[in-house]
Amino acid sequence: MVEKFKREWLTDPGTNIMAGLVVALALIPEAIAFSIIAGVDPMVGLYASFLIAVIISFVGGRPAMISAATGAIALLVVPLVSEYGVDYLLAATILMGVIQIILGILKVGKLMKFIPNSVMIGFVNALAIMIFMSQLEHIFGISIDTYIYLIATLLILYILPRFFKKIPAPLIAIVVLTGIYIAFGSNVGTVGDLGTIERSLPSFFIPDVPFTMETLMIILPFSLSMAVVGLVETLLTARIVDNATDTYSSKNRESRGQGIANFITGFFGGMGGCAMIGQSVINVRSGATTRLSTFTAGVVLMFMIIVLGNWVVQIPMPILAGIMVMVSIGTFDWGSFRFMAKAPRTDAFVMVLTVLIVLVTDNLAIGVIAGVIFSALFFATKISKVDVHFEETADAITLRFIGQIFFASIDTTIEQIEFKKYDKDIHLDFGGAHLWDDSAVDAVDTIVRKFEEKGNAVYISRMNTDSRKIVKELGQLNEQHLT
Amino acid sequence: MYQSILLAADGSANSYRAAQQTLNFIGEGTTVTILHVVDAEDSKDEVLHGEGSTFNRKAKLSDIIALYDENDVSYDIKFEHGTPAPTVVDFANAGSYGVVVLGSRGLNTLQEMVMGSVSHKVAKRVNAPVMIVK
Repeated sequence: MVEKFKREWLTDPGTNIMAGLVVALALIPEAIAFSIIAGVDPMVGLYASFLIAVIISFVGGRPAMISAATGAIALLVVPLVSEYGVDYLLAATILMGVIQIILGILKVGKLMKFIPNSVMIGFVNALAIMIFMSQLEHIFGISIDTYIYLIATLLILYILPRFFKKIPAPLIAIVVLTGIYIAFGSNVGTVGDLGTIERSLPSFFIPDVPFTMETLMIILPFSLSMAVVGLVETLLTARIVDNATDTYSSKNRESRGQGIANFITGFFGGMGGCAMIGQSVINVRSGATTRLSTFTAGVVLMFMIIVLGNWVVQIPMPILAGIMVMVSIGTFDWGSFRFMAKAPRTDAFVMVLTVLIVLVTDNLAIGVIAGVIFSALFFATKISKVDVHFEETADAITLRFIGQIFFASIDTTIEQIEFKKYDKDIHLDFGGAHLWDDSAVDAVDTIVRKFEEKGNAVYISRMNTDSRKIVKELGQLNEQHLT
Repeated sequence: MYQSILLAADGSANSYRAAQQTLNFIGEGTTVTILHVVDAEDSKDEVLHGEGSTFNRKAKLSDIIALYDENDVSYDIKFEHGTPAPTVVDFANAGSYGVVVLGSRGLNTLQEMVMGSVSHKVAKRVNAPVMIVK
């Protein structure tokens, strides 16, 4: 226990604190931009990022992963905030936490393996496209100055890291360009136009919503979507960090931890969040390995806001929009085009379908669930191909069954057989087949009965042990058939 | 002939050509260390496209491994985590290699445009002689 604590907190503290610092600096503009996407005050995202990062550093399952306010959750809650207001968002966040804690206890982490790569690729692509689209209103049709600030931001973000990497480029863009704005003034919107920054720590309060069934019915669909999307992105990020560091992490502990973090955050005026792919990669690349890095990221973020809050409101919006454009480019899976050319057509279809459903419904959760259902259907269709080979010799007729026989494949199996009188013994050869369920056993019963009705003698051969077992338990065939 | 050679390989065509060049320096008792740097930046792509894990990383190097097996070269494979250039530099300077060989261009042209080239940084900072293969 003490060993584990030391390893997860105290290994190489210098590197981990530095990594956390870098992440904190990169988190601030994102937390503000995600708040603006959700339609709430910047403080809601900043408090969320501070609280979630600090809480998850204690209760999470994946050391060195960064969780905070995210675009995925912010995009989900837009209608809730615009229709009912921020208090409903806080209540939904608390319920989201409760749902995630329950899912964590039910060990839902294991269910992640049922989400195929094609759906995951669709998820990140849809997320990237939605983040990008959400920025258009801050870019186009405002002023010439807006375009100039945006282009300057993108130039700094993409060219500066070539020469100088110690300080994250987004921070440099913000400091330099906000400095220019403060010094010379420009015709651009600022963070201050969209909300206020409070230079204080978050405090406990109960969201101001009526405690009625009606309220529950309003927030429940949002909380469910938030919980699902949060876990999908979190567990994907955990796999990415596992893979990058060749270590293993507890997905169930992480799911529970996410729940605890969101539950508490909702009571302190923060919006829901989850793990962040981009920030976690920045953290790991900076050498982070321990929980201390995540903890530092949260604390430094809050400290910076308290110290620098007065300047934060002066940040011109096009700078944040530029940073969000970079975030969306980084989120998009650019291997998708290669994937669409090379992967099986059904996989490519599921990927595109997932993206389209998300874009049509504006809901990442629906896209993921639809994607999983479609890939399951395609899988069942693919696997339900059974071939029946008809072979005739001098004294017998053999029907060879090749494939998986189960509820979805019995129709195509039986269709291939011609039931008539053959004047020879009929052997049903199951050497290349597997019977999976009651329907399969029924089908075998049916085949035998139909042949016997036409006056044939039927024998079953080479059925594997598992299949034979369920036939004996569920079927009506007698020993005579099962040679 | 060198006693020990460090080959930094990312699995690209250039790193295969670099491996072919090492065959010219190999004599009795030469060992080639194949170093593959696992970059967190690529981890998202690897996970999304099912290319993570040591097994798949070895598969990336399979052409080079086959080449060495064919030519009876004794080699060992090392995986290191980190950003490519500094990781190769640290690894090379921590050991004593007669020569460090690497391909001139990695897999990701966009990244190279943004970050500058790995081979240039390695050539500048590694103490041993460095050969960059086009």
